Amino acid sequence: MNTTPTRTEPPRADCIADSAGGITFDIVGEASPGAVLVLRRRGGTTAADVVRLPLTPTGEGRLRAVLPSTVELAEGRWDAFTTHGDDSAEQRIEPGIRDLRSLVDRAPDPHRTQVAVRIPYPTVDGRLAVRCWLRAPHAEAGTIGFSHGAMTLEGRLYGAGLDSGAVAEARLRGARKDVHRVPVTVRPDGTFTFTLDYEPLAEGRGDEQRLWDLWLCPAEAEPGQAAGIRIGRILDDVWDKKGVFRYPVLPVEGSRVTRPTTAYPYFTVDNDLSVRLDTLR
Amino acid sequence: MTGPLKIWGSRRRMHISFLLHNAYGIGGTIRTTFNLAQALAERHDVEIVSVFRHRDEPQLGAPAGVRLDYLVDLREKSHGYDGGDERFKLPAKVFPVGDGRHKQYSRLTDARIATHLKSTEADVVVGTRPGLNVHITRQTRRGPVRVGQEHLTLAGHSYRLRRELSHRYGLLDAVTTVTEADAHAYRTRLKLPGVRIEAVPNSVPAPLVAPADHDAKWVVAAGRLTRVKRYDLLVEAFAKVVAARPDWRLRIYGSGDASGNEKNALHALIGELGLHNHVFLMGPASPIEPEWVKGSIAAVTSEHESFGMTIVEAMRSGLPVVSTDCPHGPREIITDGRDGRLVPVGDTGAVADALLGLINDDEQRRAMGAAALASSARFDPEHIAERHEALFAELVSRGGNGRSRSRIHDALYSSRGAVLDGAYSLRYKAASVLRKGQTA
Repeated sequence: MNTTPTRTEPPRADCIADSAGGITFDIVGEASPGAVLVLRRRGGTTAADVVRLPLTPTGEGRLRAVLPSTVELAEGRWDAFTTHGDDSAEQRIEPGIRDLRSLVDRAPDPHRTQVAVRIPYPTVDGRLAVRCWLRAPHAEAGTIGFSHGAMTLEGRLYGAGLDSGAVAEARLRGARKDVHRVPVTVRPDGTFTFTLDYEPLAEGRGDEQRLWDLWLCPAEAEPGQAAGIRIGRILDDVWDKKGVFRYPVLPVEGSRVTRPTTAYPYFTVDNDLSVRLDTLR
Repeated sequence: MTGPLKIWGSRRRMHISFLLHNAYGIGGTIRTTFNLAQALAERHDVEIVSVFRHRDEPQLGAPAGVRLDYLVDLREKSHGYDGGDERFKLPAKVFPVGDGRHKQYSRLTDARIATHLKSTEADVVVGTRPGLNVHITRQTRRGPVRVGQEHLTLAGHSYRLRRELSHRYGLLDAVTTVTEADAHAYRTRLKLPGVRIEAVPNSVPAPLVAPADHDAKWVVAAGRLTRVKRYDLLVEAFAKVVAARPDWRLRIYGSGDASGNEKNALHALIGELGLHNHVFLMGPASPIEPEWVKGSIAAVTSEHESFGMTIVEAMRSGLPVVSTDCPHGPREIITDGRDGRLVPVGDTGAVADALLGLINDDEQRRAMGAAALASSARFDPEHIAERHEALFAELVSRGGNGRSRSRIHDALYSSRGAVLDGAYSLRYKAASVLRKGQTA
């Protein structure tokens, strides 16, 4: 008979997120003067891409680090490490219990100039990271309705002064000048809605697959060029929406559609909203 | 559910040995065995012997204070890799053909398990699935108390396996089931004189997150996306919920099976019913407790549950559960109208009405959630371990007597088993010839 040897476990952090954007990290470990939790933005190279949070004892052999909502983190994926001083190597952290209930239906103050989102999540290799978004202003996608080859989006604006002449733009990815515009209704309470017909997105192109990114823009802006607001969905606890938010795949019909084509909206790896069109050969 | 068992004799320290199919994987039996072993290890010497080892570390994390051993190494890169042993390719003779895991067992497992059971120094040997319980009846040295655990149900086993259990389990000291309903089936459908049959439910530890506050407008369900869970029924019921309360939404956690068929079918149904803004397939989540507390009501629409682990998990997180009154577990966990709701199996309207009842009545939702939190404390690993411990201690203390009784009893059973074995295989062959004749 064979016995499993014991091993030294990597540090494990339980996280609690609050609705304002703060995160508390609790780690089992012994107190030491140099103990810190380090967040490093993946692909980052500047000093602003590293945040060091002191790990302080909370009793019962546990250490706590707090990321306050007031500390700004750039948009991206931040990997979490611990270290016990300048000389000791940094260790990746395993995700423990992630209590994210405060993030589920977040409704930040619509008058704030920016929206900050931080979601602790397990990476595919089983380590703890924090997904961050920082948007000023922000256009949050809500429900999507479908009828007669068109989709209607309901959403909410945060920190933006778009007027009644605003437009929604579908910008063809990889082709900067290919833009399709529709009018947007912006209500005084900050909610907005627009209907996007699929037919113009299918028109006149032979590609098998086209991805259209959705933006909100001021009406007077040059199509595709203005500093628009990318529409996304980030005000909840779902850090990766692609597989969870699935919408009907509908046929695109109309006199300008020459070959069988389907369309559906989807969330990108950054939780931004796009529309995908597929044409059969 | 029976009351607490009396503890017989003094609380002496016992050496308890669990025999588990594979401690390195993920599954309900593994989780339950780990919980129980860890709780028992506070007062006893506890080991888990895993028949197989296919990876370096247990995926569920090794239980604290428990020795973990294995018998057959399936790691191809390990120097102890056993896949090259010629006995590995020969079909098992001891492990019963009727157990669904038979294909994974071999002449090698027959031998390794025999060596382990013939030399064990344990006071109590505990099997965790029918095939391993049969090993225990046939290969354990005289002396240790023999306990066979049933984590599924007798009714769920094939005719062939039930026949085999009926003439092997007489050599166990006790059979434990996870529901009273299944214990009743064992008592009435198998003739096992002198074998203690006890229902001891699975344990669920207290969650490490604060209970749900019942304000979130979410219904939560969790479990593998398989046909028997009837998530299609839940989605259809939720269409009726959304018609009345479009502000409420549903999350279903769990991974699909390898084919992905059930997941695709559910996505199609969600699309067909226009519920893409209201019903979400979340994928797997581990641990699950932080997901339960994001909701205010839990839903279970299975047509069958061997126990109903997710019901207890949700209740321990403070959620009232709306469940079908399916065999076997739910009605032994939920008291309808007090700490949850039981509705008829397969009745979409009843599921929708029960959900809407809790959605539309904040006070009732809170009251039932609080009652669920309180009543589910009886499934705490400490209480459950005490019930197993009391049973083991009683059987160990009566050991001398029981063993001398069973010397004759065992001999009878062994010969009866051998005769029946022969008779059964003849009968089975005859029946199979007949069936082949019919289909030819």
